[in-house]
Amino acid sequence: MTRGDRILIAALICASLLVWPLAAARADSQGGQAYITGPGGRSVISLSRDAEYRIDGAMGEVVVRVVDGSVRVHESGCPDQTCVRTGAVSSAGSVIACVPNRVVIRVGGEADDGFDARVR
Amino acid sequence: MTGSMPVSAEARPVAGPFTSRPMALTAGLLAVASVLGLVEAALPGLPVVPWLKLGLANIAVVVALVVSGGRTACVVSIGRVLIVGLAAGTLGSPAFAISAAGATVSLAVMWALSRAGRVFSPIGWSAAGSAAHVAAQFCAAAWVLGSWSILVLAPLSVLLALPLGALTGWLARTIVSRLRIV
Repeated sequence: MTRGDRILIAALICASLLVWPLAAARADSQGGQAYITGPGGRSVISLSRDAEYRIDGAMGEVVVRVVDGSVRVHESGCPDQTCVRTGAVSSAGSVIACVPNRVVIRVGGEADDGFDARVR
Repeated sequence: MTGSMPVSAEARPVAGPFTSRPMALTAGLLAVASVLGLVEAALPGLPVVPWLKLGLANIAVVVALVVSGGRTACVVSIGRVLIVGLAAGTLGSPAFAISAAGATVSLAVMWALSRAGRVFSPIGWSAAGSAAHVAAQFCAAAWVLGSWSILVLAPLSVLLALPLGALTGWLARTIVSRLRIV
């Protein structure tokens, strides 16, 4: 490893650490609900009540389960199954995405399209 | 071709990736990249961050960049994306667009760093290329999904991509130092 490598890698580590709070600041403080955005539109689900939801994705059905205040993708008709492996999320700002199905599940508030500034 | 050749493509502009010996080298590296890409496509992602992969196919791209240069690396990288897309049946799908975006941006970054003389080693190229790959994939995924919300996962992913990239770069450098393929 050259000195240039070390400087480059250190700079990239710093850059991602600096961007981190910027990305996380978009997380709304209100948990307790989640937004599901899919090809068919967007819906809000409550995390305070255990339930199962079925969303029509671009490739197949996405089965979303809410258990004990956390949400997870139980089943998905996609080839990579990354969304299923992501597991359960519950904290505000957490995201589960199924890219082949174009479905995004986001815990918390509604600020999820565009870089709209939010002043708190 | 004579025996002792300089290793950079810039030093011998006539011998690009499409003359016999470099072509055989390019084809061999492309085959290795494709096999590594397919093996990786069959493996599950890493625990906790299942959308991240080791980036094994990048070893072949870095080796191509070291022993031959940007044009060979371009053929290996883009060719691999096409072959893996064809074999995995994702050609033309959003997943394919995302992997193509990652591979292109990563290649551009690694090529630019490799042009900076001896300032950076393959470890640095690969670490930065890996970070660029992940960042580009997140942007492409956000575009496909029509939602920026997925970008909250990007900083952690880029941070984890750096050591993975350094590792594949180190492997590539080790392989180059062990083999005499040019």
